[in-house]
Amino acid sequence: MTRAAAGVPRCAPRGKRGAVATSGFAYHRPTTLREAWRLLAEHPGAALLAGGTDLLVRIRARELQPSAVVSLRSIPELAGAAAERGGGLRLGAATPVADLLRRATVVRRYPLLAQALRVMASPQIRNVATLGGNLCNASPCADTAPPLLAYEARVELRSARGRRELPLEEFFRGPGTTARRASEILTAVRLPAPPPGARVLFHKQRRVHLDLALASVAVLLRLQGTTCRRARLAAGSVGPTPLRLRAVERFLEGRILTEEVAVEAGRLAATAVSPITDLRSTADWRRRIVEVRVRRALVELAGLERAGGAP
Amino acid sequence: MKPRKTGRGPATEPRASARGHTPRASGKRPTTTTSTTTTTLVELVVNGAKVEVPVEATDRLLDVLRGPLGLTGTKEGCGAGECGACTVLVDGRAVNACLYPAREIEGRAVTTIEGLGEPSGALSDVQQAFVERGAIQCGFCSPGMILAATALLAEHPEPTDEQIRDGLVGNLCRCTGYVQIVEAVRTAAARRAGGGTR
Repeated sequence: MTRAAAGVPRCAPRGKRGAVATSGFAYHRPTTLREAWRLLAEHPGAALLAGGTDLLVRIRARELQPSAVVSLRSIPELAGAAAERGGGLRLGAATPVADLLRRATVVRRYPLLAQALRVMASPQIRNVATLGGNLCNASPCADTAPPLLAYEARVELRSARGRRELPLEEFFRGPGTTARRASEILTAVRLPAPPPGARVLFHKQRRVHLDLALASVAVLLRLQGTTCRRARLAAGSVGPTPLRLRAVERFLEGRILTEEVAVEAGRLAATAVSPITDLRSTADWRRRIVEVRVRRALVELAGLERAGGAP
Repeated sequence: MKPRKTGRGPATEPRASARGHTPRASGKRPTTTTSTTTTTLVELVVNGAKVEVPVEATDRLLDVLRGPLGLTGTKEGCGAGECGACTVLVDGRAVNACLYPAREIEGRAVTTIEGLGEPSGALSDVQQAFVERGAIQCGFCSPGMILAATALLAEHPEPTDEQIRDGLVGNLCRCTGYVQIVEAVRTAAARRAGGGTR
């Protein structure tokens, strides 16, 4: 993914034009997972390529100098989406973002994810960049992460020795680092059945359209009357990893949603995040965005602006 | 590994090469995937013509188009997927040629700016609309902009202004301004809806 999609710093030097600016690597296109695992074992310095929209830029900027590139684009079992028993959905990790948006099941049943995918990068990048690539880059600002956290998605990791599954929350370890072992491939993202009647809102704060998120907030609410029965909140670009805002969830669940509750939830969200100041924004501003956007999302989703003036 | 760009001159007749490129490389199919210096022959369709080109592991689609295929209508701007100057269509979808590994183009169909329009040289309806609406100034962003617009209209034949802007969000223009460009796309869409193609 490009900087726009995955957080490569803007100041990264670019490759010299018209010349190959990289040290050499071998390019492999396995067609089965088994073959891919074998290549990973043979080339300890190999980089996995899904969409490649981030990887190629980083290689050309010499941030990465892999001895080999193992492309996951020709492995059929990594692409597509399939309904699961229990009403969930399994998304192949190497499915391009644009393909996910063409699927009615994704758009209708997981609208929070669709909202985030639509504002990710540009059409050109969405046609190529993949869900798994976005997650494995583990950028704090990965657009797909907050909605997937709110849906309590799990990731499936497979190696020649077996298969394991983790909550997405445990997959992220820090900026650019994940729980994936070098021998493993992220094969799928598994979404549980969406809570019935859930109301959702994704907000991405940015300066211009193509920007990386300065901060992002994903909110999922299930209400019974005015009482919050379930709340799932997550935020991006405001911590070393995309964050699930559990303190806010605990505060909201079981409570009657009022404007005061929304204000308090916003305050709690602001204290739950740990943003930094970098070239895109400041820590204070990001914290403020989280506070305001959580509050406004709750007001909007609970229909509070009709009752008493919007804050 | 040494760059191997030398010796790959551009095609002498861009228009001809755009439509009916003849393969420069011939010979047996590849090679191997285990050496870092190996060239692989990759077969693809470019602007309707089947071609076979030598590709190195580190090549991007952009390198192959502008290098051995001599299709220099595709521009390199940022080289990082920000500006969209290198936009081409792969199997009908807009992609950044600077982010597309050349090895992945095997068996796919690429459309570049040289492949739009008629064999007679007549412009495509989108190109014509860009000309009429003054949506071109220096021209550097135009090939990518026009291909992005072409893909946009294929997906949304009657786009709203918001859809036009969303569809072109990956393409930067630094001189014309976007107003004329959006108008051009709107014009092309209106003519298609009205049944006319010019």
